[in-house]
Amino acid sequence: MEIKILGGGCAKCERLEKLAREAVDELNIEATFTKVKKMDDIMAYDIVSTPALVIDEQVKSSGRIPRKEEIAEWVRVT
Amino acid sequence: MNILAYLATLLQAGLGSLAAYLAAHVLLCLLPAFFIAGALSALIPKQAITRYLGREAPKWISYPMSAVGGFVLAVCSCTIMPLFASIYRKGAGLGPAITFLFVGPAVNILAITFTGAVIGMDIALARIVLSIIFGIGIGLLMAWFFREDDEARNDAASSQAFTQGAKMSGKTWLFLALLLSVLIAGTLQVSLLTNSYATFTLPGAWADSFQGWLDSVVPPDPSLGIEGVSVHGVFLIGLLIFIAITAWLGLNEVDQEFNTWTYLVLGLVSLTLLVASFNVIVVAGGLNVGVTGKLMAEILLIGAIWWMAATHFEIYDIQEWLWEMWRFVKQVIPLLIVGVFLAGMARVIIPVTWIETLAGRNTVLANLLGVLFGVFMYFPTLVEVPIAQTFLSLGMHRGVLLAYLLADPELSLQSILITDSVIGRKKTAVYVVLVTIFSILSGLIFGWFVR
Repeated sequence: MEIKILGGGCAKCERLEKLAREAVDELNIEATFTKVKKMDDIMAYDIVSTPALVIDEQVKSSGRIPRKEEIAEWVRVT
Repeated sequence: MNILAYLATLLQAGLGSLAAYLAAHVLLCLLPAFFIAGALSALIPKQAITRYLGREAPKWISYPMSAVGGFVLAVCSCTIMPLFASIYRKGAGLGPAITFLFVGPAVNILAITFTGAVIGMDIALARIVLSIIFGIGIGLLMAWFFREDDEARNDAASSQAFTQGAKMSGKTWLFLALLLSVLIAGTLQVSLLTNSYATFTLPGAWADSFQGWLDSVVPPDPSLGIEGVSVHGVFLIGLLIFIAITAWLGLNEVDQEFNTWTYLVLGLVSLTLLVASFNVIVVAGGLNVGVTGKLMAEILLIGAIWWMAATHFEIYDIQEWLWEMWRFVKQVIPLLIVGVFLAGMARVIIPVTWIETLAGRNTVLANLLGVLFGVFMYFPTLVEVPIAQTFLSLGMHRGVLLAYLLADPELSLQSILITDSVIGRKKTAVYVVLVTIFSILSGLIFGWFVR
């Protein structure tokens, strides 16, 4: 599974990454994490605002920090 | 020996400036402002605004909503740039994107309240009104200059992301209104709020001599805008130190859980706001304490906020709110303290005649200088305010001051470079020229009104 965190490296993106890592760890799933920081790369996805969470190239959330349970649910379904 | 004396004067000026910023009226605005900024960022779903900024949105909605979005969404630059880029490339287009970019840094809640408390409500109001009018004006002009470009992009990338809607619930509106009322009740100078309805005296001969000592350490100098430190102020500074310690222990991990320190710091913040609302005067043999209308208003409002937070919101929302608030504090306050200190020292170093000659009168050239200073000196968020106050006390004209205050957050070299990477060199150049012209105009118009 490939998880991408879109956002310019501000505190919110770091927190989103931390939550996503915890969710993945708790489910014992193998996942790679990538931080996407360049504006052009971020804009390639259909989002309006950061931070955004992308799981296997699918935008799951943007402009907010989802709860850990929400992330866990997305990870499980994917 | 002379150098030592000079250094002492410098240090004293820096401390005096710091002390003035910790005075009650600044506290009463800055503390609630951070809580409001946190709430705007955590409790308002971005989609509630971005759904009006899509490609299909009519102009009469997209431009005003861009301005509103600047106020609500743009408390930090890490939110501004991605939104700016997506409004430009996938949403309502160049014009509304420019409006958003212009309004955001100029009218965020922290900058406005801070400007109002430190420099004056006239400049704060002018900053809001002129930023919104000129933000929309510059956006419309940019869209008109580059109209072919927007038409070409119309067929290209369109986005579904803007169509996702979200609504703000009634309780969120009410909660924001309560937070805003705390700020307004604390700063509004009307007799209903500032009058004392009961007075009592705290005995203590120490107060008088303590105040005398404070006046000798930080001499008040109204001509330079240095207020000095009151006994009341020392007490508030003490409370602030306690808040800083408990906040570190109680808010750093607030996204994980509430601990005892969290409740303690929230209690201390409430207490500090209440203590700051008393009217305290040093008299021979004690302190005269006045129970003001402001105090009663604050008790009611803060009580209502605690009640709403405890019963009407999920704990998760409250955690988000406090986490955002604390993030802003950590981002802004350390730099602000350094900035205030240095601005106080600059007041001693810069000769009054310089500023008076360069910017003492409301001319086109003086306003241009104000703008250029804003472009080439990059100050972190809010630090432009103490810098502006220093200039004001050194004789800068209020019109020129407004031109500087408008240009500084808009046009730092850094923000010009980022804008350039999104919309390209030619459009950025036109934008910079337009902002310069409009800032100078604002200064001239405002200066003419207040002359």
